[in-house]
Amino acid sequence: MRTADLELAARCRAGDAGAFEELYRQHARRLFSLVVRMIGSVDDAEDLLQEVFLQAYRKLSGFRGDSALGTWLYRLTMNHCLDHLRARQVRMNRATESLDEEGAEEPVAPAPVVPAAVSRLDLERAINMLPDGAKAVFLLHDVEGFEHREIAQILGISEGTSKSQVHKARLKLRMILRR
Amino acid sequence: MNCELYDDLLDDYVDGVRASDQRSDEPFAAFEQHLAGCTRCQALVADLTRIRLAASALDEHIPPPRLWARIASSIDEQQRQPWWQRQLGGTFSAWVPAAVAASIALLLVAGGWNAWQQRRIETPQQVAAPQPETESVPAEQHYERAIAGLQRLAQAQNGALDPETRAVLTKNLAVIDRAIDESRAALDQEPASALAQESLLEALETKVALLQETVALATDSGGPEETAGPARELNQ
Repeated sequence: MRTADLELAARCRAGDAGAFEELYRQHARRLFSLVVRMIGSVDDAEDLLQEVFLQAYRKLSGFRGDSALGTWLYRLTMNHCLDHLRARQVRMNRATESLDEEGAEEPVAPAPVVPAAVSRLDLERAINMLPDGAKAVFLLHDVEGFEHREIAQILGISEGTSKSQVHKARLKLRMILRR
Repeated sequence: MNCELYDDLLDDYVDGVRASDQRSDEPFAAFEQHLAGCTRCQALVADLTRIRLAASALDEHIPPPRLWARIASSIDEQQRQPWWQRQLGGTFSAWVPAAVAASIALLLVAGGWNAWQQRRIETPQQVAAPQPETESVPAEQHYERAIAGLQRLAQAQNGALDPETRAVLTKNLAVIDRAIDESRAALDQEPASALAQESLLEALETKVALLQETVALATDSGGPEETAGPARELNQ
């Protein structure tokens, strides 16, 4: 896998016209979905993903294969998303801290409160209401299927922080989605 | 019930990491024993599992085909830049045109202001409220107009398509129409939701693209006996 990544990166650097398109085709769908959900706008997601791939094109010379090419792209993408959200004055750290203080809001219920079939729109709306930090970790873990170890690499946080953010995000979603 | 003792294990339990993580079975066995008698933890596990499953089944958002075209064109443009500009990278190339554009805008605004002041001094009585030439039309209406026009064209040329292609296109249109109906229903419930608005516009845009494809296929095929090429089936 790593060898294939390094070869693809080398072909891109060497100016192989098809190589960068191959990289785009491999990752664009998943990255686009992630960006749409992170920033909540399809139009902005298009512009943002364009910036991500242009930056990736410029920075490929710095790719050493320490992580998978996909992980490297996810890191670039999440950095762009979080910068974008910061620029919109939604402060990730403050939002995450406020979530830390909301431990008491979990409902003590003797029966499930979330509907058995959660609708796609309801869930998308609920995810959009999460604080940015918890949303980032939840999307990477529960939607994209990354492990905490990989999320720690992508977001530059500890595995413990990743686990606790997923737990808090799920509790928050449970509150939002309760019947 | 000491539920908080198991907070750490609860998400691992929901994620099913017990087998793969080679954790000691002991804490999990204790948690399962606790779970058997704790309705609060049973409800929590059921809810978090539902959320996890629903999240992992969310549809992908498909990037529009124009996105790659935009990226490829920007790369092409970058490659045609002189070497020194490429070395300076995005920082330089981004702020210089922006600064030039800002200066031009400032000059235009200043010039316009001066001209307006001049006219105001010359003709103080001629004050008329500016009338907008056209009302701004919501994006949805633009799409609907485009759809209506394309539908007329597509219907007129429908006979030019082979039955297989026609069937796939009809099925795809039905999928998109359902998505449009769903988005409209969501928007009716929450008119201020940006997500629902974007969902609707995205679905309308997809329909426009599909109708354009239909018309192009019909035009290319020229008659019912020719093959119009494969039509890609849309995911539900």
